[in-house]
Amino acid sequence: MSFTRRLLAVGAALVLVAAACSDDDDGDGAEADTDAEAGAAEGEADTSEPGETVTVAASVPPTDHGWLGQIAAKAQEAADQWDDVEFRLVEAEDADSQASQIQTLINEEPDVLVVLPYDGEQLTPVAEQAMEAGIPVVNVDRLFATPEAARATILGDNYDIGVKAAEFLAEQLDCEGNVVEIQGIAGISVTQDRTQGFADTIEELCGNGIEIVAQQPADFLPDMGLQVMEAILQANDDIDAVYTHDDDMSEGVVAAIENAGREDEMILTGAGGSCNAFDRIEEGGLYAATYLYSPTMAGSAVNLARLIAQDRGMADLVEPEVPSEIIVPPTQVTQDNVDELRDLCFD
Amino acid sequence: MTTPILEVRGLVKEYPGVRALAGVDFDVRAGEVHCLVGPNGAGKSTLIKCVSGAVEPTAGEILIDGEPAATGDPSTALGNGIATIYQERDLVEDLTVADSIFLGHEPRRWGLLDRARMRRHASDLLRRLDHEAISPRAHVRDLRPAGQQVVSIARALSRHVRLLIMDEPSAILDDSEIETMFGLVRRLTAEGVGVVYISHRLDEIRRLGDRVTVLTDGVTVASGLPATTSADELVELMVGHKVAQLYPERPSRDGRVLLEVRGVRRLPDVRDVSFEVRAGEVLGIGGLVGAGRSELLRAIYGVDGRDAGEVLVDGRRLPPGRPDRAIAAGLGLAPEDRKSQALLLDWSLIKNVSLADISRFQRGLIRVRAERAAAEEQLRALRTVPDDGGRMARELSGGNQQKVVLARWLLRHCRVLLLDEPTRGVDVATKAELYRLVADLAAQGLGVVVVSSELEELCGFCTRILVMREGELVAEVDGAEATELELLRHAMPDTQEMLA
Amino acid sequence: MSTSPVDEYRGVAGRDDGEAPSSGLGRLALPTRIKLQEYTLVGVVLALVVIGAVLEPDSFPTANNLRAILTQASVVGVLAIGMTFVIATAGIDLSVGSAVAASGIAGGLLIDSGDLVFVVVALGFGLGLGAVNGGAIAYGKVVPFVATLAMLAIARGLALLMSDKNPISLLGSDGVRWFGTGEIVGIPASIVIFLGVAIAGWILLNRTRYGRHVVAAGGNREAARIAGVPVRRVVFSVYCLTGLLAGLAAVLLSGRLASASPVAGELLELDAIGATVIGGTSLAGGRATVVGTFLGVMVFAIIFNLLTQLNLATEWQQIVKGVIILGAVLIQRPERI
Repeated sequence: MSFTRRLLAVGAALVLVAAACSDDDDGDGAEADTDAEAGAAEGEADTSEPGETVTVAASVPPTDHGWLGQIAAKAQEAADQWDDVEFRLVEAEDADSQASQIQTLINEEPDVLVVLPYDGEQLTPVAEQAMEAGIPVVNVDRLFATPEAARATILGDNYDIGVKAAEFLAEQLDCEGNVVEIQGIAGISVTQDRTQGFADTIEELCGNGIEIVAQQPADFLPDMGLQVMEAILQANDDIDAVYTHDDDMSEGVVAAIENAGREDEMILTGAGGSCNAFDRIEEGGLYAATYLYSPTMAGSAVNLARLIAQDRGMADLVEPEVPSEIIVPPTQVTQDNVDELRDLCFD
Repeated sequence: MTTPILEVRGLVKEYPGVRALAGVDFDVRAGEVHCLVGPNGAGKSTLIKCVSGAVEPTAGEILIDGEPAATGDPSTALGNGIATIYQERDLVEDLTVADSIFLGHEPRRWGLLDRARMRRHASDLLRRLDHEAISPRAHVRDLRPAGQQVVSIARALSRHVRLLIMDEPSAILDDSEIETMFGLVRRLTAEGVGVVYISHRLDEIRRLGDRVTVLTDGVTVASGLPATTSADELVELMVGHKVAQLYPERPSRDGRVLLEVRGVRRLPDVRDVSFEVRAGEVLGIGGLVGAGRSELLRAIYGVDGRDAGEVLVDGRRLPPGRPDRAIAAGLGLAPEDRKSQALLLDWSLIKNVSLADISRFQRGLIRVRAERAAAEEQLRALRTVPDDGGRMARELSGGNQQKVVLARWLLRHCRVLLLDEPTRGVDVATKAELYRLVADLAAQGLGVVVVSSELEELCGFCTRILVMREGELVAEVDGAEATELELLRHAMPDTQEMLA
Repeated sequence: MSTSPVDEYRGVAGRDDGEAPSSGLGRLALPTRIKLQEYTLVGVVLALVVIGAVLEPDSFPTANNLRAILTQASVVGVLAIGMTFVIATAGIDLSVGSAVAASGIAGGLLIDSGDLVFVVVALGFGLGLGAVNGGAIAYGKVVPFVATLAMLAIARGLALLMSDKNPISLLGSDGVRWFGTGEIVGIPASIVIFLGVAIAGWILLNRTRYGRHVVAAGGNREAARIAGVPVRRVVFSVYCLTGLLAGLAAVLLSGRLASASPVAGELLELDAIGATVIGGTSLAGGRATVVGTFLGVMVFAIIFNLLTQLNLATEWQQIVKGVIILGAVLIQRPERI
């Protein structure tokens, strides 16, 4: 519980940085005016003091994937620490069912809705409905299409994962060599952002020095990662590094490389922050780095939801209200710092 | 004499490698029933398809009212008032009677279906056919075969038919239903409609027809004979020489009891039926369609369960609902519908023959050569055409498919054969052959049970005949003394009372 | 009988009145047609190989890549052989992909008891899931599509539940790893197993009573029953077979992945069904070919390998794959539907 709140504080501080930065187009909501409400208690000293009891409902995609599973767990964990929060989490099979599920939730009139949309674009209308019905929405990770669809947004920075991985590999390879990119699910923004950030930064840092010789999606699935990497290994005799979009999927990619006996030829980076990846990084060798895209943001979202419902601001901020956008940057995990970040990995 | 409605001159139809029609001359006058007979494969269906526009003839002329008609176009044929009722019922079972009658030319009002008018017209048509009991709102599925046929005829009438072609309409009807159908046909001819009537049952020609044409090998060997031509003469024309005898010697019954049926009940179709079958006899079971004959065979054999009663083969009891055990005990069933219940149409004849007894060829793996040899031996013994075991069952005529089923049971060394309508849809010459086969099998010591709706054939070659009515056995008649009339009297409840 | 009048009929009676021959092809016996289909697929495979050799001369037509393709084909291949039996009975098994995941996890949970235990438990668990499918379908009279759709969900749920949503590492299990990386006389073990299953499947389908019964049950259930085929038992058994093979696929996949993953095998059922159907096995039942299925699996595997090697963008991969599948099926479609 303590680290959740610490992270929340870190995140809150970062929002100011994010708002100041103009390089990211995700920042529309950052300057959304927070019209100061008179009734808000000035300089709330300790938001951990119980307030009025509030109900928070959360809707998330199916939590069968490692990271999404953690999203559900972290949200539940955060809710469990508060006596003044009645929490309910529901999973939806697909975008359609999530939309109808949220409609049902709106009718139940919770104080706040936390939504990790299956697809931000498709679920924007129903989130707007909730807002119009007077239920504030906290948007987690996948952005809605309009700022009106959420009262507050907390998200990781997928583009930045690509940027940081590119910086890391550029340095490791001295801007020279062949890189393979194993992507997530084709056609969703997470994949596009992670790909774009990587491509832009490699180009910027190394020009033509590093060539992306293969770039294929493997749907975040380990067995797909295995199949795809096996074929890529056949086609490419000389690979210096592999940039993958996900740690779970990387398990398959790593297996393919090791099965081919080519683990000494290249290094690999993951993303997400699974404990298996942490183990691999600790061992050293092929698995060189991963980028923490921490599911703890779901816990923060629940905490934000509580404060919004109770009409309180954040303890370490002067503003009487919760900021409208919080961006959680990816943390690079390498052999150097894997020990100290151990607590943040997820199974 | 008036111009015929339909005249066919020198019609030829060639398929790659086959001459299905090799010169057909044929005409139909208004108000007459012109029967068309011939063995399977003679080209009757091809002729119908040419006339109805379903296929384009290779040569020859089709004249309607003396004018040459366009060929190969079904809609022209329909426009000329030619309607066909095919052998296979061609109704959509899920539609209502009214929908079926007007399928393809539904009355419309402002672009929408005019259901009220449809139902009204359907009622009118059914009344004209003297079948107002059939509701236009009923579903086709719920009608008996005879009722469905009435709907088919009503459908033909709804298009102002002048020439009605009926392909084996009696095959799916029992005797009383056939009478009703005859009544319908007479009603139509009285209104001036010309009818082409195709049947394997020569007795129907005398009863219904005005003239008869014999088609063999794609050629009309005799066209427009008077319907009074004797059956022997017609068969001779078909076969090309004199048929010695349609029915073989009647098998005797002196063997020991092979099959014993005691109080078998399967409600509502079969009620407490008991009988026995001896080695060497052919036991006929007659009755109307729906009397429970097929259901009785199925319950004995175990395709369906039984509510009560027992079945013994050689004194040993068969468990209900277990065809595999019945087969092991020596039973074999040739079911009513060969295509849907007996054969795998896309399988080779070999596999169809060996299906019930594959284990015999399996020594670790199936020895396919031995399997082929054994299967072909049986096919040859039964004079199946073709006897090349590699052919697909689908390619064979009905009579030969029946032989494939028989071959299966002979290969299995089965001792009691249950034959359900074994000659349905089989031409007269092959029928004669099947009768002979069955008699031979009985002579070899098999017990044979034959269910048939053709009372005449039961009288012709059975040792004994049982009659079923409404699920019960009501009479046993000695085969040599039986007459069709007597059997029919037992089979029909109302005549029973009338005569009593 | 030698003077029977019927002798005269032999020339014509072979034709059915109702079905005058409509074309030359229409008279091809069925076995011929299945062979024709297999030849077409051989052509498709060869064409793909030639295209691959032209476009990627250095990396595609190599012994190493052939090993890679066959290895990749092994998991779907094993499933597709089982699927051929199920589809031959006019059934379908949508649950194989999920069953792979669940079987792998079930084995993985007991990995500490030994590698052999993993294999036995994975096979047993797969068999068990298959038996539930088979029981529901053969004895409970549930439509195969529905029963196995339910199992698709249940098995995936079990996999996630048993694993607590985490993959189970098998890095230390050399015995299991052998199935993914080991060799038998220089040939990867997974390839040997796949080919072994394919050959056994061919023999079972074509040269045993059981195989006849399977196809008969699908071709005409009523006729099969009347001919003494224990239809229910046969139907039950084919689902057990796919379940068992799903367990085997789980072993092969886990061996290669060095872990058992609860999300493994997603959509594998579609590849298995697809390969079976483009191979020429009829979804309506009654017509099955193991050789065709093998070729269908190879078509899928080569397409995947080649398109990935070409590094074609996903959108083009999808389109090309779809066009090849549609083309392969169009070339060989039977004229009767």
